[in-house]
Amino acid sequence: MGTSKALLEWHGSTLLRRVGGIVGRAVDGPVICVRAPRQELPRLPQRFEVVDDEEVGRGPLGGIAVGLAALAGRSEVAYVSSTDVPMLHPAFVRRVVAEVNDDLDVCVPYVRGFRQPLAAAYRVELAARVQKLLDADRLRPSFLLEECRWSKLDERRILSDPDVARCDPGLDSVTNLNEPSDYEAARARPAPEVVVERFGVLRSPGESGTTRVRAATLGEAAQASATPLTEDIVAALNGDQISKDPEEPVVEGDVISFMSADAGG
Amino acid sequence: MKTVEVDQLRRVAPPGYFGVAAVVSAASGETVPLELEERVLRAYLGGVGLGAWLLHRLSPAGVDPLAPEAPLAFVFSPLVGTPLTTSAKFAVVAKSPLTGLLTDALASSHFAIAGKRTGFDAIVISDAADRPSVLLLDGDGSRLEDAETLWGLSAAETEARLGDRLGSGWYIAAIGPAGERQVRYATISHDGRHAGRGGLGAVMGAKNVKAIAVRAAMKVPSADPRGVVEAARALNKLSFGPATAKYRELGTLANLLAFNAINSLPTRNFKEATFDAAPQLSAEELSAMTSVVRHGCASCTIGCEHIYPGPDGKGVRVEYENVFALGSLCGVSRSDAVLEASARCDELGIDTISAGGTIAWAMECAEGGLIDAPWLRFGEAEALLRAIDEIGSRRGLGALLAEGSRRAAAQVGRGSQAFAPQVKGLELPGYEPRTLQAMALGLAVNARGADHNRSGAYEADLSGSHDRLTGGPAHVAAAVESENRAAVMDSMILCKFLRGVFVRPFEEWGRLLQLVTGWDVSEGELKTTAERIVLSKRLFNQREGWTRADDWLPERFLSESLELESGRTAALPAERLREMIDVYYVVRGLDQEGTPSQGRMSELGLDEFLS
Repeated sequence: MGTSKALLEWHGSTLLRRVGGIVGRAVDGPVICVRAPRQELPRLPQRFEVVDDEEVGRGPLGGIAVGLAALAGRSEVAYVSSTDVPMLHPAFVRRVVAEVNDDLDVCVPYVRGFRQPLAAAYRVELAARVQKLLDADRLRPSFLLEECRWSKLDERRILSDPDVARCDPGLDSVTNLNEPSDYEAARARPAPEVVVERFGVLRSPGESGTTRVRAATLGEAAQASATPLTEDIVAALNGDQISKDPEEPVVEGDVISFMSADAGG
Repeated sequence: MKTVEVDQLRRVAPPGYFGVAAVVSAASGETVPLELEERVLRAYLGGVGLGAWLLHRLSPAGVDPLAPEAPLAFVFSPLVGTPLTTSAKFAVVAKSPLTGLLTDALASSHFAIAGKRTGFDAIVISDAADRPSVLLLDGDGSRLEDAETLWGLSAAETEARLGDRLGSGWYIAAIGPAGERQVRYATISHDGRHAGRGGLGAVMGAKNVKAIAVRAAMKVPSADPRGVVEAARALNKLSFGPATAKYRELGTLANLLAFNAINSLPTRNFKEATFDAAPQLSAEELSAMTSVVRHGCASCTIGCEHIYPGPDGKGVRVEYENVFALGSLCGVSRSDAVLEASARCDELGIDTISAGGTIAWAMECAEGGLIDAPWLRFGEAEALLRAIDEIGSRRGLGALLAEGSRRAAAQVGRGSQAFAPQVKGLELPGYEPRTLQAMALGLAVNARGADHNRSGAYEADLSGSHDRLTGGPAHVAAAVESENRAAVMDSMILCKFLRGVFVRPFEEWGRLLQLVTGWDVSEGELKTTAERIVLSKRLFNQREGWTRADDWLPERFLSESLELESGRTAALPAERLREMIDVYYVVRGLDQEGTPSQGRMSELGLDEFLS
């Protein structure tokens, strides 16, 4: 790519902010960003934790080891994602994570003819085993699979999830960007379609308050719906998380509710 | 009253105060002055803070809240009487017949100004009259008048008739029929606004006092009158800004649709957190369909009140809490019925939140066969109206429901306590604890009970600063901060709808106090004052039998989860709540039983209550 993927611009935000935000929406625990030595990162929300992978040349398994170790004692299962998947959807993450049960250590999607170990779910307690592989210089993710209980999650089974089928029917969640042309093509695609609801004083008299717009971030959704994202306004994503960060990623099918930040009653 | 002594106290009082409270006997009509030393005024400010101090001093330990010797305090503040916007407020403080603990409620407008300008920082009613009476206080002192002809009237009608009888210059706070019958969540009202929570109207009714009328007799001095006027101008300007737009343009009912969208609108006795019919009850739709008149309290530039045309043509003040409690909480979707129910509560003089919560509990009991009331069903508008009437008259099922959901559930038993929507006996306001977990803590630990005015931690939940579904240390910090801010605002007193205009609130509030009182009040001193006020209430409650077990939420919230459309589950396990309470106690300087340490009490000057 010739530049840090984490820093690549994405609709006014960055790839890392987007992917971390989407993963964070789909899991209960913390979001860990593993940083390579001397790697520059974009501005990230406080809820993201950055940990350093001090060693160079260990490939993705090195990052997985550091990330899993950082989650020890705090989560049972981790979703592992590369940075360069801007079309990732939370429904896809949830589907993959849900597959890891008591009988499995790893769930790897099998999409577009390939295993996707960087769009996969790993049991956190594998950290020590991954470290042993690294110590033995066995750096390929497939070596880990040889040593644990894992399952392959094919496209049909992924799409059996109605949320994935509705929001990511082409399984673009695994579309990664390796070349500048990949990035340009992805960036040229229309932003996701989202529903914007406006409540209270944000809604003009007689207006329904609900519109559909295309937006990849909260800031874009605010702009597209002519809603000023001031300090007096907050947004709820799908009736759940509250944000006023214009870089907050939004995805296909999201419902964004803008409302007054003051809820005194 | 010893006039010379009172005048002397007034002369040495700091600006903004008179340095004296009137303790008026409802039996004789006579006043005994109670000196309020400057150290007390500075430590407790006024409003709910000074009210807590007065209760410590004047309420006998273990007193029955409805006994003659239980005091009922109307407490003013240093800011009232100044041109500072939203400052025309007064607090009413007593031991609650609903909770058995301290309760304090605020109301607004001319009664506050006239009441303070009688020359007293507080008016405390003690004893009980032997017949229905009106208590009058002005420059000529205090006296009783007969209220036989007013007994049975609504508070509004009482105000109107008594106003005609007394003539201009008198301002009146009164109870309705529910207060007379000592419904445990009866209100005290002035000009259509209610000191609503905790049953203060029942306390007044137990004293046979239908109304208290006050007339101004003297002015309130300020330390820096010109500075106060300049500050008032600046604050007025800010009060027209975006931070208060919601209150001005749609009123608090603007919460309804927004809360519905974020799974925080309590529905059908908290079994659900969204209501399909919410749009029918929303400010957005109602205000488009019908004419709404905006109104404001005296000395207020926000004008948050939105008055809708009621069923009989009379205006009905509509607030989010009315509509949530009498609408979604009872599953009632007809806006006309909710307005009618709200109007009837006002006429009877009962707290809409406690009425709605208790009726919603009864609806669930009736549907589950726990009480014999086949007419009472969720969603039945006529049943809601009948239940309100029966509560107000204490007839039929109303005899049970007038006791509030905690007592009613204790009587019905059969597991109904688990879904009685109350904390410490006070019914929950319209903020779903499972999806607002800083607020969940605030509801659990607050001295008044489940309350959204003494703890506004929902603000932090809705700020995006933490995940509102997973309570933890950040939520505790938010709850503590919210309680502290409320303690100061409710004691100075300033309306909380103004809170969004302050950037460094404690510093700015300290400056306002300095202009009025002349005290050099630092941000740090005011934060300490907040702590003192919060803990003084806790100490009073402990004296009255509170234990750690009272800082808790009903079982429903801890054992039943809510499924959100986002795919997440909103659950509040008991262990998480316990951990938050543990941390809250640490932050507040309490031991694990919720008691302040001796050192903490000494630091805050609270040890005076131990003697």
